[in-house]
Amino acid sequence: MIRPIICKELLENLLSIRFILSMLLIISLFSVSGFLFVGKYGQQSDDYWRKTNRNLAGLREQSDRLYQLAFYKQEVYSKPKPLTLCVEGFEKSLPNCLRFDVFTSDLPEVKSQSSFILPQFSDIDWVFIISLVLSFVVLVFTYDCICGEKETGTLRLMLAGSIPRYKVLIAKYFGVTFTVGIPLLVGLLVNLIIVVSSKDVVLDGEIWLKVFAIVVLSFLYLSIFVLLGMFVSSRTAHSANSMVVLLLVWVALVILIPSLGRIISDLSARAPTAEELERKLAEVGDQVSNDERSGKFGERAGYMSTNPNDPRNNPPARARLKTAGANAKNAALEGHHNKTLAQAFAGRDITSISPTVIYQRASEAVAGTGINHCVNLHEETKQYQASLKEYIRSKDLEDPNSLHLIFPEEGCAQYWQTISHRPVDFDTVPKFQERDLALGQSLKLAIWDIGLLMLFNLVFFAAAFVSFLRYDVR
Amino acid sequence: MIWKIAKKEFLLNLMTFKFAVGTILCVVLMAVFMPILAKDYEERLKTYNGNVARNKAELRKVKVYKNIIPTIYRPPSMLSAFSEGLEKRVGNSATIELDKVPEISAAAARGNPYLSIFSVFDASLIFKIVISVLAMLVAYDAVSGEREHGTLRLILANRTARHQVLLGKLLAGLMVLVVPITIAFIMGLVILLSFPMVDLAGSDWIRIGLMYLASLIFISAMYNIGLLFSCLARRSAISLVLGLFVWIVFVVVIPNGSVYLSAQILPPETAEKIEGQVASIREAMSSEISRGQPPRTGDWSESDTGDAFGNYYVKRCNKAFMEDNQKRYSFRTPLEIKYADKFWEVENSYLSSLFGQKQLADNLSRLSPICLYDNAMSMLAGTNIASFQSFIKGVKTHRNRIIDYIRSKTDNFSATSFFTTYTKEEMEQSPKNTADPPSLDLSDLPRFIDKADIVEILRGVIPDLALLVFGNVLFFAMAFAAFVRYDVR
Repeated sequence: MIRPIICKELLENLLSIRFILSMLLIISLFSVSGFLFVGKYGQQSDDYWRKTNRNLAGLREQSDRLYQLAFYKQEVYSKPKPLTLCVEGFEKSLPNCLRFDVFTSDLPEVKSQSSFILPQFSDIDWVFIISLVLSFVVLVFTYDCICGEKETGTLRLMLAGSIPRYKVLIAKYFGVTFTVGIPLLVGLLVNLIIVVSSKDVVLDGEIWLKVFAIVVLSFLYLSIFVLLGMFVSSRTAHSANSMVVLLLVWVALVILIPSLGRIISDLSARAPTAEELERKLAEVGDQVSNDERSGKFGERAGYMSTNPNDPRNNPPARARLKTAGANAKNAALEGHHNKTLAQAFAGRDITSISPTVIYQRASEAVAGTGINHCVNLHEETKQYQASLKEYIRSKDLEDPNSLHLIFPEEGCAQYWQTISHRPVDFDTVPKFQERDLALGQSLKLAIWDIGLLMLFNLVFFAAAFVSFLRYDVR
Repeated sequence: MIWKIAKKEFLLNLMTFKFAVGTILCVVLMAVFMPILAKDYEERLKTYNGNVARNKAELRKVKVYKNIIPTIYRPPSMLSAFSEGLEKRVGNSATIELDKVPEISAAAARGNPYLSIFSVFDASLIFKIVISVLAMLVAYDAVSGEREHGTLRLILANRTARHQVLLGKLLAGLMVLVVPITIAFIMGLVILLSFPMVDLAGSDWIRIGLMYLASLIFISAMYNIGLLFSCLARRSAISLVLGLFVWIVFVVVIPNGSVYLSAQILPPETAEKIEGQVASIREAMSSEISRGQPPRTGDWSESDTGDAFGNYYVKRCNKAFMEDNQKRYSFRTPLEIKYADKFWEVENSYLSSLFGQKQLADNLSRLSPICLYDNAMSMLAGTNIASFQSFIKGVKTHRNRIIDYIRSKTDNFSATSFFTTYTKEEMEQSPKNTADPPSLDLSDLPRFIDKADIVEILRGVIPDLALLVFGNVLFFAMAFAAFVRYDVR
């Protein structure tokens, strides 16, 4: 009995004006999204490779003396990912450039083309179309699925037969899902055809799996709205009332609650300002100077003469002093950076009562874009710093002329030979390469959000079920 | 007759479920959002006061004239709770330096860049989204719903003219929608005023009045759009669907599309080009300095840290150093000031390209009444780019006054007080004291005065309001044309 009801729902919806309008709107949005992505991805890739090669060329020049490798400030950019087609995650306004040498790293910077004066516009990625437009379209289809049938009188005719109410509900759910699934799948197909047929974008097996995972997430998200629509529809007797309630709930869930994120994060977990960071760095610097004056690092740690044979030089003490200074500065910067990240995550966590935020977060975790991309890049540069330092240390040990003191002062390394001056083979030098997370790891990051989406589904299904069981169909 | 129809419609709408739910939602949202927004304003005001006080304290510690580098802070706009605009995206401070002209910069450069994942949130979101949806919901069945109920043909069976019916419906719709707008506004104001740090002046009240007027005009434009679709469709379900799709286009597609298009049509200058220009100017400056600068002959024997703003000054030196530096600074400083203007030109051309882009985006987005309303509200709240531009203009004028002041006090940067506290008399006596020298007396330093010009704001907001009124008239005229040919049976 379920199948005829599904077919009837499907056919009825296919011939309605709302289906035609939705189809037009969704397909045009997806094709625009595909063209925009293809247009900008090629250029972004070129930019990225140009900058990375420039960095590597600079690094190669430093390899004629080992110590220069330690002090060369490398500039690493975040790699543009094909999965920004599905979820861009605001990457164009997030930090994408990290400058560091072996001892210290600066705070991540935003080096992008977008203007800070223009209002931030969300890139038209899949998540934008699905979370905003498709959820709205779903509500337009489901607002009268039960109360509309009551008004036209067909609901009592259907239930006058021997069909149990839960089967009607399940059949309507599948009917609407298939109805909305048609424009969604056609749109996705059009979009993927546009992207695959362009020469700039290369999608491999792992990426296709992640795309499939995001499509599954999208269906989970949309089914929340189908069940919500059915729930509200089965609580009211007039479809106009149901439409009103659904529209206002949609506005609150999809638009208002996600926007609360910024203010709530400011109030609950405000990160220190740039002025406060400068004050902290000055404080930390003063502390190290005090320690030096009190002789904590050794005698004459503050003395530095360019003559390596000057008896007043004390390399080990100076090494301790400079390392302490660099460590203190790094700790202060790292603490500041962690607090800024914590503020962003706090804002997102508090607003995750809205399925839209949960869906956005889950898709970003699966695709590896957005703020997670920044965090991963930061982690990978730290690991690379450590491996480069280890390489320098091991190469330095081979040189008997060097003092084997690896600490952050280029002048000392140059004049006192604290690090070896021998040339190294550039091919053996570790080079930074950004790695994508494997699918399993991405899914693990998103597992809580997938669970939350399923929970929403269950809750709304139970609510719709209970409401429909008690619904007066006359 | 118009008034009778309006009264009947008004009372009918007042009793509906949708009106009750919409108004209650507006009230609840205002009650929830406004305290959060007001608290955020309080925090920003506290930070601003702290910064200003710290700056004043640092100025009191200044010992030599070259270390007068105060930072001017822009106070947070009091009405930013109603429309946040660019408050949190553009930097709100500018430092006065001899070798750099202050300009608008991105706040993200100094703040938390990860907060870009959140969108802007203010009270005008409630009007833009919730009340405009309510307007659509009130309007969609104004004509087509009456046709379905059969009452439209009964009204028109009399001598009632069609224009009277439509005008009555317009009037009724406006009266119905005035209720939630007014309640929301009053509630927002009451909550904002209950915070002690909020203090509204006369010009602020004028601005709030204009914001209220802008909201009314905007909502009536949305009502007219709904009325238009109601007159075009025979069934109210279709008019609702059409109205909602057009609403999605206005809310989502046009604002984003206009920003994207403007970024494509007028891309800003690339960072590399600007860095190249800056590097070449810097080269020119260093070559000019090295050509004209006298060689360093003297020697300083002791310099100390700890002057204001983290800078250094010379505590003791010998005669050769003193004379040498006097020549040096009197040659170099005017040159640095001249080159500051050259650097500023490069930055200015970049910013002009950004402003041009924004202007294009604004013009493209004027198709959507929501964007017109947004622009008007942000202008009235003092959070749009024009307000930042006038702040920076004030800071630039202030910088010129400070430069003239320092020039006059140090005889065109050649006096010793420009870079050292050591005087020629002290050098002759050569005392052995190592006490801290006294700070400069800066009681006659020019003060920064920030005045917001209400007339400028009014002049700026008139185009957007006029376009909204024009939109109203246009949509109503189209609705009227459709209604005149409407089949009421």
